[in-house]
Amino acid sequence: MMIKKVSEAYKKNLALIIFGPLLKIIEAVFDLFIPLFMKAIIDLSQYDEPSQIPNAISQSLARFIRVFSPGDAPISDAITGGIIILVMGVVGFVITMVAQYLAAVTSTNVGNEVRNSLYNKILHMSKKDRDEITNAKLLTVINSDTYQLEKGVLLFVRLIIRAPFILLGALILSFVLDWRVGIAFTVIVPLIVLVNILVLRKSSIGYVEIQKDLDELSSSTSEVVEGSRVVRASNNQEASFNKYSNKTSSYEAKSIKVNKINALINPLTFALTSIVLIVIIYLLKGDLFSSSNVLIASTIIAEMSYLAQIFFTTVQITQAIIEVVKAGVSSHRIDDVLAKEESIISGDKTNEDGNYPLIKFNHVNYSFNKDDNYFLTDLDFEVRKGETLGIIGGTGSGKSTLINLMERFIDVTSGEILYQNTPIKEYDLKSLRNDIGLVNQKASLFKGSIYDNMKMSNPIASEEEIIDALKKAEAYEFVSKYEDGIKHEINEGATNLSGGQKQRLSIARALVKHPKILILDDSTSALDLLTDKRIRSQLNEMKDTTKIIVSQRVATIQNADYILVLEGGKIVERGKHQELMKNSSIYKEIYETQVKKD
Amino acid sequence: MNTKERLFHYLKPLKRELLFALVLALLFVVSNLAQPFLLGRALDASNNNNLSEFYIYLIVSFVLALLGTFFSYIFEVIVSNASQKAIKNLRDDIYNHINSISIKDFDAKKRGDIVQLEIRDMEYFAGGVYAVFKTLMQGIFTIIITIIMMCLVNWILALGVILLSPLSVIMSYIISHFSGKYFKKQSSLQADVSSISLETLNNIDIIQSLNHEDKSLEEFKKKNEVLRKEGRVAQFSASWVNPSTRLVNNTIYVLIGIIGIIMLFYDEKLALVYAVMSLGRLSSFLSYTTQYSKPFNEISGVASEYESAKASFNRVNNFLNLKEDIDEGNKEISEIDNIEFKDVNFSYDMNKKLIEHLNLKINKGDKVAIVGPTGAGKTTLINLIMRFYDPQSGEVLVNNIPYKDVKKHSLRNHIGMVLQDTWIFKGTILDNIRYLKPEASKEEVIEASKKAHADLFINAMPNGYETVINAKEGLSEGEKQMIAIARVMLLNPEVVILDEATSNIDTRSEKLIGEAFDLVLKNKTSIVIAHRLSTIINADTIIVMKDGSIIETGNHQKLMKKEGFYYSLYSSQYK
Repeated sequence: MMIKKVSEAYKKNLALIIFGPLLKIIEAVFDLFIPLFMKAIIDLSQYDEPSQIPNAISQSLARFIRVFSPGDAPISDAITGGIIILVMGVVGFVITMVAQYLAAVTSTNVGNEVRNSLYNKILHMSKKDRDEITNAKLLTVINSDTYQLEKGVLLFVRLIIRAPFILLGALILSFVLDWRVGIAFTVIVPLIVLVNILVLRKSSIGYVEIQKDLDELSSSTSEVVEGSRVVRASNNQEASFNKYSNKTSSYEAKSIKVNKINALINPLTFALTSIVLIVIIYLLKGDLFSSSNVLIASTIIAEMSYLAQIFFTTVQITQAIIEVVKAGVSSHRIDDVLAKEESIISGDKTNEDGNYPLIKFNHVNYSFNKDDNYFLTDLDFEVRKGETLGIIGGTGSGKSTLINLMERFIDVTSGEILYQNTPIKEYDLKSLRNDIGLVNQKASLFKGSIYDNMKMSNPIASEEEIIDALKKAEAYEFVSKYEDGIKHEINEGATNLSGGQKQRLSIARALVKHPKILILDDSTSALDLLTDKRIRSQLNEMKDTTKIIVSQRVATIQNADYILVLEGGKIVERGKHQELMKNSSIYKEIYETQVKKD
Repeated sequence: MNTKERLFHYLKPLKRELLFALVLALLFVVSNLAQPFLLGRALDASNNNNLSEFYIYLIVSFVLALLGTFFSYIFEVIVSNASQKAIKNLRDDIYNHINSISIKDFDAKKRGDIVQLEIRDMEYFAGGVYAVFKTLMQGIFTIIITIIMMCLVNWILALGVILLSPLSVIMSYIISHFSGKYFKKQSSLQADVSSISLETLNNIDIIQSLNHEDKSLEEFKKKNEVLRKEGRVAQFSASWVNPSTRLVNNTIYVLIGIIGIIMLFYDEKLALVYAVMSLGRLSSFLSYTTQYSKPFNEISGVASEYESAKASFNRVNNFLNLKEDIDEGNKEISEIDNIEFKDVNFSYDMNKKLIEHLNLKINKGDKVAIVGPTGAGKTTLINLIMRFYDPQSGEVLVNNIPYKDVKKHSLRNHIGMVLQDTWIFKGTILDNIRYLKPEASKEEVIEASKKAHADLFINAMPNGYETVINAKEGLSEGEKQMIAIARVMLLNPEVVILDEATSNIDTRSEKLIGEAFDLVLKNKTSIVIAHRLSTIINADTIIVMKDGSIIETGNHQKLMKKEGFYYSLYSSQYK
């Protein structure tokens, strides 16, 4: 089932999320014991019996080694100790790998779940909701935030318990071995964290600046690429190069500045760790020069191991925190999308044909945002079964928005639309859209064969039906020229088809559906008028189909039963071609600029 | 140039920096690696109760730590500066090259790819150069110096570490090899999933109108499931890195430690073979052991960065290897009297014939209209007239001089173009209009804009002519086209090439633009991709194109009488 919040995906994988980190603790304990064992082995080699070792921990570990040691010769003790450490290492490794596997399972499960739910959400989102969030953001959320989330979950399971455990354990053990060293280590941890955080914070500000410069470079390059022909016809190359060169210099300067900050991390952490070692040896000077020299030397060797562990995990935690914080931000963004309430909800009524208009717009107003002025104002018209309605108007006149209302991609702000005498909001959305064959401006086609694309609109269509539709849309001629005919593959974005071919195929797809209403939204603009005309006359044969034709070209709509002239979101004129030519100055003007003017 | 020569070309000016960096790397690696050695010695000094020696070792160690810190910082800064310098030069060169290759080579590339050369490829290259130089320099030094230091401490143990070290190298190689393979698979699956979501979003209204949501979800789920499984394998295989290096390092650490401890018992005998052992030496040795595998892992870690930097640099190199569009012509023309096509054959693709045996003469003052369905190849003619392309055979002449002998710039300066999508760059409206004639005064620009009917909307903009515009926002299609007309009005060339298509323009502006078209063509030699009837009927020559070739030429009366393609086109469109 689809989830509504990222946390639900966590809940589903709760057992894994808890169990994985717990396993890691076992390995962490082993890891922490290695330096202690090493110390015990050294101590044991210097004293003959475990009981002689002054340090309690070392003594008990030495006894432990003795239990397994085949003899009491120092060499056998050393080898036994080594084997114990190695066995611990191998067992720890196996346990860790189980945990790592669980981490991979958890993170990909969560990612998968979230991605499916997001995709499902997007599929059912209305146009208005999508516009509010913006497509760019939806794409980032589904394609990059989900991966960021996966990464966060992965690190969480792998490190969230282990790293602090190691850090704390190493600090405590270093205290136990020698409290002075413990203090020195405790001081150094926040310093390492501080260095890392300060540098990362400063450099991340710098990266924002660099990114801006990079965007500038990108748009400047796009500019000359787009203007390649004009640029070549001008004398201006040098000036534009100088501008560009300034931008690359600024990019260079900013990058160098950020790198100067970034370059601090390694040297500074190195300095911290080496100086702390020197300080420790200095602090332990008294003991070193006393009789218990052996014990102190083995302690220093163990403490050096702990220092390495402390250093490594501190850096690891700092980096993990950054990733987990990023994942948190991503998870918020994902939740925002998942929580978006659907603004268009299907009704449950359907209705049969009857003696009423198929579609009726009842004083419809529409605005994109609540407080905006109406974008469409007082649309009032009806379409009866079998009629052809022509809608003409320029860009921004509201033609496509009107179509969006008919498909119920958006809902009216006020007024009412009736479909088959039923308010469209109460009508079953699936059957409404099933009745309509839409050919949009973009002529959207999908990756896959022509056949697959045709089947999308009617899964039970036979091959004959498909070929028939292709013929009616004047597409069969070029389709049949392909060696593989209707099985010909369409690339992603239909890049292997011309604009005209795409339009003809998407008209055919709408016809395969045998729609009650056929909507052609500026869908013959890339066709020459001859082909356009042929398609129109084929469509005219389909007497039962109601046609709504939207166009900027008079020629395309002049034979419609009824024409609406749209301007600024209002119906400014309506009537048949002849009437409009007589009565409408706007229509006549359009006609003349397009056709008649000498 | 091949890639090596190209790389060398950009690195050569930086050789002093790189040499300096090399010296610094050596210095800081030595000072860093001296630490365990010195501290071990200090421990031994305490064992021997030698206080002054103990202090000397500590102080030297402290001083070297500070120096090492300083050197390593300077080293990182120098390497980054040097790589940024190389990047800047490369970026600038690519930019210049974009403007100097021939349109033919240019059109053969995807525009997005060219932009990506400057952005993505340069970023990868920068990252790769920086990481590779840094890691290689310090990594190789670290390995060498560590071996030397270890030998100084105890050569027998050093031998042990060197013998054991392949373990860690092999391990990390195998892991990165495997996980690399799975990550490649994973990222191609991620790309698949993201292209599905992109396709869906781009076409969502059709999906919704076809009630296709459930099926789309099913398909997506299938892909996503594959991604989940592959992702799991990829993440799991990558997760071997830390635990197994830990295991290997711990093993080596313990083995060396145990051998070292055992050696302590045979101290006197070992002294005979110059392999003295002491607790201090053991401690330095164990430090080296933990550090020794680090550079190996780091070097194998930059392998992937190196690969992508190499691939990017190859793309850049291929682009820079495209020949500059050399202008072999040297004749200037002061005015265009005529342009003539003599038996011209041309096609973009050897297998597809396009223009064949074209003979055409355009005299001063002639009005030529090109008509035909979309995709008929009308812009090809314009490409030849502007000499963006050269014909395969035959020739084009201007004032009876072959095109090849005329300076390209001199030719193009006499021809003004108003094409369907207008090029707008980020800058003021003023600069946009006088792009082709930068020396024009503001008054001249305003005058030209008035004639292009652009003055009205420009004055309505917030800062008038000083308003900064760019390609994406601020102007409607119609307004952009008026700017293009104003550009040509200002240039006032003898020949005007015009595409009358006015899609995406509202009907009112269409009328204004029509008037502006008429004005810009007035008293000029004109070559027009015609959409308006008046242009066609009044043309001296109509060139009718279909499927890439010219099928009829003549004036309106002549072509109508012929009752050919033009006749049917005309009848369907205007009757």
